[in-house]
Amino acid sequence: MSTKINIYPNLRHYTDGLEAVEVEGNTVGQCLDHLVKQFPSIKNGLFNKNGKLLNYVDIYVNLESTYPEELAKSVKDGDEIHLVLIIAGG
Amino acid sequence: MLTPDERERYDRQIIIKGFGEEGQEKLKRAKALIAGGGGLGSSTATYLAAAGVGMIRLVDHDKVEPSNLNRQILLWDEDIGKRKVDSSIEKLKRLNPAVKLEAIPETITESNVSQLVAGFDLIVDAMDNLPTRFLLNKAAIDNNIPFFHGAVYGFEGRAMTIIPGKTACLRCVYRGLIPEEKFPVIGVTPAVIGCIQATEVIKYIVGLGKLLTNRLLVYDGLKMKFTELKVKKDPNCEHCAHLTSKG
Repeated sequence: MSTKINIYPNLRHYTDGLEAVEVEGNTVGQCLDHLVKQFPSIKNGLFNKNGKLLNYVDIYVNLESTYPEELAKSVKDGDEIHLVLIIAGG
Repeated sequence: MLTPDERERYDRQIIIKGFGEEGQEKLKRAKALIAGGGGLGSSTATYLAAAGVGMIRLVDHDKVEPSNLNRQILLWDEDIGKRKVDSSIEKLKRLNPAVKLEAIPETITESNVSQLVAGFDLIVDAMDNLPTRFLLNKAAIDNNIPFFHGAVYGFEGRAMTIIPGKTACLRCVYRGLIPEEKFPVIGVTPAVIGCIQATEVIKYIVGLGKLLTNRLLVYDGLKMKFTELKVKKDPNCEHCAHLTSKG
């Protein structure tokens, strides 16, 4: 099962500049675990010290919000995940 | 009623299908509050003044610094050290003397936000920090004023339009706070996002097209790609959950 995670510019320094990463998993949480296995440092950009998703990270599956049960959201082969960080500059 | 000079000045937009003199009159009667006189504020204020929005109030407490000048295009080298709102309004007056312009050199706070937005037809979110954006979002919801959000970071941008009670608000979409930092930005990014906000404002006032509601537009300037993320009202939103959806 393969899912594509789209990485936005302000997270790409964790993925060696990659704009998208192929992962495997049946849920968003499993897909993020697989992402972290490939790029361990991205864990700091997505989760707090207790392993909880940071509240300024938003996750979309097939362009739809997964809030509030982001990590439990199921995914299937061919789905696309977007990891989006809140930005606030003006 | 438009004057002959106004008909001539705005001719190219009046001839847009569905716009007409009626649309121009709506712009002339509109009162827009622009919160923030930075990169987004410069961009939105310029195009709203050029389009003939009747009244613009610009709120910003800062003075012009050299590091502003890469993106805050209403602020020029000669303005360093002056108040941003005064320098911006002076340029806008020269661009379109018919627009009523008001400079408010204040910090937006919980205690003054309602007073600042009262009586306005719309609010442009051109701030540079999330806490003040949330204050404005709540004031917009509480006073039933449409809210036009924009934000930038580096080559990235976001935009969304909020119609209180009908569509997802900023707090429905953003629940957390980001760590405070000096954010990176290149001037073209707030130019793009500010123009999207101004487009939304004009569409809203004139009553044209489909607004950017329940959709968070994500701009990636490095890939030159726009992505539309679907968002919805959060039934537990601390700002707007009490309002019943009207469609």
